[in-house]
Formats: sequence, structure tokens, C-alpha cells
Amino acid sequence: MLILATILAAVAAVQGARHVRHGSRSQWTVVWMLLCFLAQMTILSLRGEMRASCPLSDTGEVLIFAAWSLTMFYMVVGSVYRLSLLGVFTAPLVCFLLSIALMPGLLDASPERKTVVDGWRESHAAFSVLAYGALGLAAVAGSMFIVLNRQLKEAHMETGLFANLPPARDLNKVVERLLWLGFLLLTLGLICGLVMQKSGATNKHLYVALGQWFAYAIILGFKRKRGMPPRKLAITAVVLFVLSLMIFPLIN
Amino acid sequence: MGLNHETAPVEVREHFAVAQEGLGPMARELTELTTIAEGVVISTCNRMEVYVAVEDRQMGLDVLTQHLSQGHDTDKMSHLYQKCGDEAKKHLFALVCGLDSMVLGETEIFGQVKNAYKQALEAGATKGVLNRLFQKSFSVGKRIRTNTRIQMGATSVGNVAVDLAEKIFGKLKGCHVMIIGAGETSRLVAQSMISRGASQLTVTNRSMERAKALADELNGEVVPFDSWEDALVQADVVVSSTGAPEPVLRAAQIESVRRMRKFRPLFLIDIAVPRDIEAQAGEIEEVYLYDIDKLQQLASSARDSRAKQVELCEQMIAEEIKQIP
Repeated sequence: MLILATILAAVAAVQGARHVRHGSRSQWTVVWMLLCFLAQMTILSLRGEMRASCPLSDTGEVLIFAAWSLTMFYMVVGSVYRLSLLGVFTAPLVCFLLSIALMPGLLDASPERKTVVDGWRESHAAFSVLAYGALGLAAVAGSMFIVLNRQLKEAHMETGLFANLPPARDLNKVVERLLWLGFLLLTLGLICGLVMQKSGATNKHLYVALGQWFAYAIILGFKRKRGMPPRKLAITAVVLFVLSLMIFPLIN
Repeated sequence: MGLNHETAPVEVREHFAVAQEGLGPMARELTELTTIAEGVVISTCNRMEVYVAVEDRQMGLDVLTQHLSQGHDTDKMSHLYQKCGDEAKKHLFALVCGLDSMVLGETEIFGQVKNAYKQALEAGATKGVLNRLFQKSFSVGKRIRTNTRIQMGATSVGNVAVDLAEKIFGKLKGCHVMIIGAGETSRLVAQSMISRGASQLTVTNRSMERAKALADELNGEVVPFDSWEDALVQADVVVSSTGAPEPVLRAAQIESVRRMRKFRPLFLIDIAVPRDIEAQAGEIEEVYLYDIDKLQQLASSARDSRAKQVELCEQMIAEEIKQIP
């Protein structure tokens, strides 16, 4: 099922990119992504059944959950803001996350069934990964903005990508709103994390999460209070997300 | 049979023009002539064309020529062209695709042909042959517009500016357009912006009279030339076309209002020569600066790109004609 989900994301990415290159819009991207989403849901529910808890106990599960969350936010944001091209940019990231999850040893073949479930720990993990989905999609939309901004500045209007990219102001709004959504989910995850039973490693993990939370809080506060050039906001969304992706595996 | 902008000047075309409400009745009138079984009349500002299905080709041609010549002298009639069989089909398909239009690939003609056909259909002037032919032409038109880039890119400076504004702001509803210098090109660009939804307009000019005249025409407000900088805080789009020898809008002026604008995007259109807006203004992050050269270059490359698509479109039309039984 994981292989199927990865293939579906890869098909969405390749087919979407080919359409963009030819200056047209692929109506199939959303279909492939929906099928990929259903495949991810199936994996997560099977893993949840096996573990009798939220399937976030090994790195593979975390990656699948993050990909699922990213796909889910794309489905919501893409349809609300009519950003069909968001799928073309999201699919490679989803494919990348699922491909890593496929690597041997990352997904426990026979997951241990939990006898005692810590509700706070489960909520902490779920909210945090959901936050990653929203913040990841903000980074994707931010990348789209950076590309469009460059094309607008250099007057490169002839490309198929330019024709298909949504307006700069809409992209900027999407980045900001997804950052707020991600920040809210991160806050909830952090509250749950502070309440849950802690080990030494968890504390280290929480300190980093707190640092990440402060970074997003400063950016959003700054943007709200005095405004920020759209390009800076987009770059910040991308950089903070990439940093988060790099830091957490090191800590864990 | 018909005439268009390439074969006849406007003073001839206007003689043959048919009012929109008269297209159906005229098509019906044609079917009452000997040997003409079906008819459709198309009339736009650039063309008047009559499509007929006849029982006898030569007789049909004579009858139609005689009918159209009523009230028109030989000189005017010499501007008419005639096409039969596959040539006529090819012409209709190319017409629907915008290949025969003054602005290559324009889309308005599709609707105009559709309307002419609808009127003829409602007037009972079409049957099997023209019904099949026109339906086919619409499907060919859709196929070509979907599978080629014949309609891609704006081909005039005004349209390029509006397309860019929409790429930056999305829908222009609520956008504030500021015009510096009340020249003709500024007026055209502002009009295009308003037609696409821009609702607030500010005009400033050295001569208050001209500024007021333009503001009245476009339902905008006038700002005195010595205090237009304050209005920059509200503006989303600035169109500048003064005759000033030195830049009117400098990067430092924009820098000074950036915070007040909360770093909102600002689209600057400089259509003046010498340029009105300092080039450094385009280096500010949220500022998109386009001068007349850039705009003309974009319009020209869109025209070139459309011209390159013509061959592909013609191939597709030829394939479609082959498939017609």
C-alpha cells in the first residue's frame, strides 16, 4: 500500500510537471493526489489497528503521517483557493517523504501493540505532525511565490509555469494563513507535549520544539504588527520548514 | 462569400454590415432564393460573410452574387471573396479559431460565429449541412484552443499591463489605480484596468484641468500634482506618462512609504519616454516595475508566439476536414 501511495504521488508529480511545461493544467493531479491520500489513510488505519494507538511510533509512521497531513491540507487549500498548481508542487514533497518511509528499517514490520496509551503523548504527536503538514504546505506555497516573483521581476511571461501559477497576492495570503494554522496546531502540540510524561530525550525534543514555536511566533507577530515583504515571508516559510525537517531527525 | 479587414477598407465593410438582430432574418431571406437551401450570415466589425448550402454550385454563386449586389456598385463588389467546398470549410474553421482575425487567435470571434449560427438556426435557415458544419467548427475551435497556444499572451501594451496586474493582484476588484500624467496611453491602460474591476482611481497631472477631465471621464478623483506622493500609500497600480525630462517617481519616495503600505505589492507601469520612474524602484522587493520597452517586448513576443502556432493549427484543421464524410 505504501508503494502504491508513493507511485501515485510520483505520477501526480510527473504528469503535473509535464502539463505545466506545455502550459496546460492537469485535471488529473487532484485525482492522483486523492487516490494517494486514500492509500495513506489505509496505511495509517492499518498501523493504528496494529498498534491500538495513534500510528506515530516509528520514523516511517511519522513520515507517512506527515505526507498524509500535507496531502490533506493541499486538498483543502487547493480547492478553497482554486490553487490546482499547488498539487504539482506538493506531490514531489509527498513522494519524497513516502520514498524515505519505504527505506528498510524505518517502518517497523511487526509493530508492537501498546497496552498503555498516554493520551497527551498521542495528542502531542498528532498535533505536531499535523502542524508539519500545514507548515510544509506553507513552504510549498512559499516556493511557488518565489518562482512567480522572480518571473514577474524578470518579465518572463512566456513560460507555461507562469501562465498556470496563481496570482502573487493570493499565494501570499495562502502562505500567511497556512503559517497561522500550522502555528496554532504547533501550539496545541506543544501544550500536550508539556503536559505529557517526560523522559530526558523528550525534554531535549521539547526544547527544540519550543525554539521552533518561538521562531514562527516572531515571524507571524512581526508580519501582523508591521508587515513584511511577501518575498521575505515566503523565504522564511521555506527556510524554517527545511530547518525543522533537518533538526528533528537529528534530535530523535 | 464575404469580405473582411484584409480585403476591404472600413468604408466598404460598413456598406455590407448587418445589424446583430438582422442576422437571422437575412439568413432566412437567403433560403428563399432559388437553389439556396440553407444560410448563415456573420457580421462583425471586421467582416461580413455569408455561408450557404446550395443544390447547384454555379447557380448558387450567381444567385448569391446578384442578391448581395443589390444596392452596391461593382467597385464595392470587387472586395468580396468566394470559397467553395473544402476551401469554405477550412475558412470557417480558421475563422472560429481566430486565425483569420486582425488580432491573431482572439477569442471574441468564436462567440460571434456562435451567435450568428444560433440566429440562423432559430430563423429556420439551417438544416443538415450547415448544422453539421457549424457544430463541427465549434468542436474544432475548442480543440485547437485547448491543444495549441494560439490564444496565449496579451498582444497589446494595455492588455499586457492588465494581465500582469491580474497576475500580481488576482481579481482587480478593489484595486486602487493611480495615474500620473493624463496622456492618452494612461487613459487606455486605466480604462482596461477599470473594465476588469479596478474600482478606485486617482488622477494627478501638472494641468489640473486635464486631470479633472480624465478623472470625470473615468469616475475617479483628482489629486494636486504637488501632493500626489501621499496618495502613493493607497495605490496598488501606478501608471505614469508625463512629459517630464527627469524621473517623477524615485525609489526613495517608495522606500519612505513602504511601512505605511505594510509592504503591499506595488505595480508600476512607466509608459513615458524619457522614463518617469527611476529604474532602482524596481529593485524594491514588493515593487514590480515595467517600462514601455518591456511591455512592448512582451506584446511582441506574444504575437510572435501566436504566429508560430498558425502552422500547427492549420495542420489540425486539415486533419479535421479529412475526417468529414
